[in-house]
Amino acid sequence: MATSTTQHVLSSIKLLPTGCFHPDKRNSCVLSNSVGRRCPSARNLGLVCASNTKSSVIEPVQLPGSPKSGVTPKKSGESTLILIRHGESLWNEKNLFTGCVDVPLTPKGVDEAIEAGKRICNIPVDVIYTSSLIRAQMTAMLAMMQHRRKKVPIIVHNESEQAHKWSQIYSEETKKQSTPVITAWQLNERMYGELQGLNKQETADRFGKEQVHEWRRSYNIPPPNGESLEMCAERAVAYFKDQIMPKLVAGKHVMIAAHGNSLRSIIMHLDKLTSQEVISLELSTGIPMLYIFKEGKFIRRGSPAGPSEAGVYAYTKNLAQYRQKLDGMVQ
Amino acid sequence: MAGVISHHALASSQSHWCPAKNSRFEKRTGSVRLVYVKGSCGSSSRKLGLVWASSSQSSVMEPMHLPSDGNSGHTPKKSSESALILIRHGESLWNEKNLFTGCVDVPLTPKGVEEAIEAGKRICNIPIDVIYTSSLIRAQMTAMLAMMQHRRKKIPVIMHNESEQAHRWSQIYSEETRKQSIPVITAWQLNERMYGELQGLNKQETADRFGKEQVHEWRRSYDIPPPNGESLEMCAERAVAYFKDQIVPQLVAGKHVMVAAHGNSLRSIIMHLDKLTSQEVISLELSTGIPMLYIFKEGKFIRRGSPVGPSEASVYAYTRTLAKYRQKLDSMVQ
Repeated sequence: MATSTTQHVLSSIKLLPTGCFHPDKRNSCVLSNSVGRRCPSARNLGLVCASNTKSSVIEPVQLPGSPKSGVTPKKSGESTLILIRHGESLWNEKNLFTGCVDVPLTPKGVDEAIEAGKRICNIPVDVIYTSSLIRAQMTAMLAMMQHRRKKVPIIVHNESEQAHKWSQIYSEETKKQSTPVITAWQLNERMYGELQGLNKQETADRFGKEQVHEWRRSYNIPPPNGESLEMCAERAVAYFKDQIMPKLVAGKHVMIAAHGNSLRSIIMHLDKLTSQEVISLELSTGIPMLYIFKEGKFIRRGSPAGPSEAGVYAYTKNLAQYRQKLDGMVQ
Repeated sequence: MAGVISHHALASSQSHWCPAKNSRFEKRTGSVRLVYVKGSCGSSSRKLGLVWASSSQSSVMEPMHLPSDGNSGHTPKKSSESALILIRHGESLWNEKNLFTGCVDVPLTPKGVEEAIEAGKRICNIPIDVIYTSSLIRAQMTAMLAMMQHRRKKIPVIMHNESEQAHRWSQIYSEETRKQSIPVITAWQLNERMYGELQGLNKQETADRFGKEQVHEWRRSYDIPPPNGESLEMCAERAVAYFKDQIVPQLVAGKHVMVAAHGNSLRSIIMHLDKLTSQEVISLELSTGIPMLYIFKEGKFIRRGSPVGPSEASVYAYTRTLAKYRQKLDSMVQ
């Protein structure tokens, strides 16, 4: 376990590079010294430096006996947004175009989900959004197994009246200890049409190498009967704006477990990327991306340090306090 | 990896079976006995099997498809037999907290994940053509984690039919790939028994609210439902109806089926397969993470107990067909 000293922190405000950053004008100047360490044990030796932006005091942790039902919205509240791209699937391994075919994770993909969970185990999560595909849902569940707050993720069912009725919880106490998980096809991977199930060689043979390259790398040219990245972005961002934004505005902390293209689409919207920029954006699998939503703006915070990484990580004061509360909780 | 000596095997061919409590051993038509050494799944140990013919006719089935085979699946044959595997999911996050779960969609604990993986190792040599699971993630994850251990290496793919778009969007455009896939069909009819107003309550809270005897009655009776919930009878009605409508035709067609589901939906199915009375079924407990194997043959279900775990050295009675499938797996280039 390594520690950093204050002056080191102050002089080197650094975000963990993930190789996919678009250097944005950042509003950040709130930092805390958070030491990367394994989640379950040690005390937080964190050091918080007040920023020059006002942060309100949010009570991100609900103690078990608390009458509050969740994080209540406050003026100039801030909320966190975590994006996680699922790891290796069984078709990735076989080099097949997957799209919306519902294939599960490999053991490696399972590990990636667990590792991702360790990186976000100290960040508050009030609601989870995922696609309708099992690889993203499993990623969310496996990641949340690592979370220190120990709330139970529960998938919400609304596909029919009966499904809704049958999934009701009858204890207030239990509901408070639950994190709702909402599944949405709009967060699915880009639908790859007639390429789904083909391997990359088969596809090049059938359609020609340049054509395949064009489908994969263009913004608005869809494969036969499939979606272009533009089409994927349209339904993913629309869903984000309709369903997820209101939660963030209300002060809820959100996690989205989804796919390469649906997440790129959302990042394109958050970071205001051009279509040129988005097609070269690669989101690492299993490495969560953190944004802070504050005063209507999204501030990218990079990727939370893994448990064995000792580094400087810029949190907000609220997140540092949340971390402290987790440390102080009786486990 | 332990070896088993053949004469030992011959003498004690039934000792390893894991019968469920109060289960009945039906008169078996099978006297096909297969004795072989169980190596650990995924290892390259050779099979030292010994097979002798049974007195009942077993047809020769080709349970395995080599990758470039022209067949698109198992073709039905007369007097064919198929395997039926039942797996109950392991520990969920609410089991751990001692809360009534029912149809609330809570995931597995790390222990539940382990149980699924262990269950998978036990069935890694048994052919599977189609998988049925409930609409709850703990059963679906169990199916996926179990299949990760399967030696045939086909890929489970969940079918989506909740809408026209969902169906269209999930289409696979390669014959080759489809042949290497195992369809996974999700069905609410295989869900856990719906526990109504008890869902989310802990056992103490419930006893306080309703009284201990009342709670015991709901949990242990056959036909008394908790408030706004299902009785075991109601659960059995929709689970067995689904089984008869959707799953039995697959077995009749010679397909090997795995069902990954829940305590009550599986008990309901076992009640049907073993023709148990309501008295018998309410005391039937199905172990979590321990798969139950049935052979479907000539319209009858023959219980075959639980396949041994990879570290258990013992005799396991398979049918000749399953033994051949195992042989093919052993000889496949991995």
